[in-house]
Amino acid sequence: MADAATAVAATEMTVEMVKASQLGMKALGAGIAVGLTGIGTGLAEMAIGSAAVGATAENKDVFGLVLLLTVIPETIVIFGLVVGLLLLF
Amino acid sequence: MAEVRAGPVPYIYVCTRMRVRKAKLLPREEYLRMLNMGLSEITRFIEETQYKKEIDELATSFHGIDLIEIALSWNLAKEYQNIQKITPGTLKDLTRAYLRKWDIQNVLTVLRGKLHGERSGKIREVLIPAGELDKHFLDRLIEEPTPERIIEALKGKGVYPLLSRSFEGGVKEEFLPRVENELYKQFYAELVSMAMSGIKGGKQFMDYITLDIDITNISNMFRFRADQSGEEMMAAIIPGGTISPQQIQRLMYIRDRNEFIDALVPLVKVRVLRELLEKLREEKSIREIEIDLIKVQLAEMESMSKLHPFSIHPILAYLEMKKYEIFNLRALARGKESNLTPDRIRGYLVI
Repeated sequence: MADAATAVAATEMTVEMVKASQLGMKALGAGIAVGLTGIGTGLAEMAIGSAAVGATAENKDVFGLVLLLTVIPETIVIFGLVVGLLLLF
Repeated sequence: MAEVRAGPVPYIYVCTRMRVRKAKLLPREEYLRMLNMGLSEITRFIEETQYKKEIDELATSFHGIDLIEIALSWNLAKEYQNIQKITPGTLKDLTRAYLRKWDIQNVLTVLRGKLHGERSGKIREVLIPAGELDKHFLDRLIEEPTPERIIEALKGKGVYPLLSRSFEGGVKEEFLPRVENELYKQFYAELVSMAMSGIKGGKQFMDYITLDIDITNISNMFRFRADQSGEEMMAAIIPGGTISPQQIQRLMYIRDRNEFIDALVPLVKVRVLRELLEKLREEKSIREIEIDLIKVQLAEMESMSKLHPFSIHPILAYLEMKKYEIFNLRALARGKESNLTPDRIRGYLVI
């Protein structure tokens, strides 16, 4: 009987443990938010970037414009970063 | 060394370059302006566009129509060679295969020139070394003393087996049209087998080949209908299109133009081509029909390149449009040289 009570006490979580676990999950969520949006941005910029280099190779005057177009998908990773920061703080 | 896998990036890069180049081609309004210019003004105008380098290089050696013609040929050859350099992977193989058409044209031009006893310089002026046979190889061909030696010099090239077989008993001019037909048939057969070999992008390439064969066959049908020369026509028909040679043979027996178009339209799959055929019920000259067909082909290639933006289509569409820009400028210059009226010259332009 005494052995069973000891075993139950050992599996119960303390408040500190729960808090630490929540913090870990938040950090994990923030990491996923930034990581996945980063991949999305990379994929989008891959196509735009190669088209931008192609267009610039033919006409150097469009460099400023294509640079602007290339960084537009950066907004995706910025959204991820904002979500990550909101989760953490 | 391990192959670097860059995914779709090189395709996007090169297709964008082709689109930018296509946007730089002369628009319709410029041709209309040029129609009212003299030959020297046209030369000056061309010099201000992308042909500046060639015109500047050749201006010391040539004048007038010769200067324009050679500058245009050089520009086209340079452009095609450059595209072969920048296209990646399988697109390079497909582009090279398509450009072999110029090899046939160049070899036949050299053979015809030799048979007519033309000067080497004159033959060189009309060659466009855009295919597998480069400028230096063609120069060597031109310097060969006889047509038979020219064919021997082609040993190892794609056109050699057919040429050597056809001209076993010596090169005679009356055989050239038949050999030309055979060479083009072999060329298209090679393209079809390449497209069907499971190569990446082969399906899109096959779409283009089918369109090209259909347009060529329909154009030939109209031409031979005007000449009433059915036997010759069947020799020029290229298999591999949507309309089979047997169907074409049946169509050639239809004498009435309306009935001919009624029978032809259901066999054509391309909507714009069907619409054009409906318009061809009224009598038109062969030249007008051919130019209308070319316009339809270019329009269809343009829409195919929008449907498959990162495939062989944008490259082929640009190559074809560039070719017709050169043809237009040449027609303009020649027309002006012969003092033709602007209206008459306009009839020869693909705009």
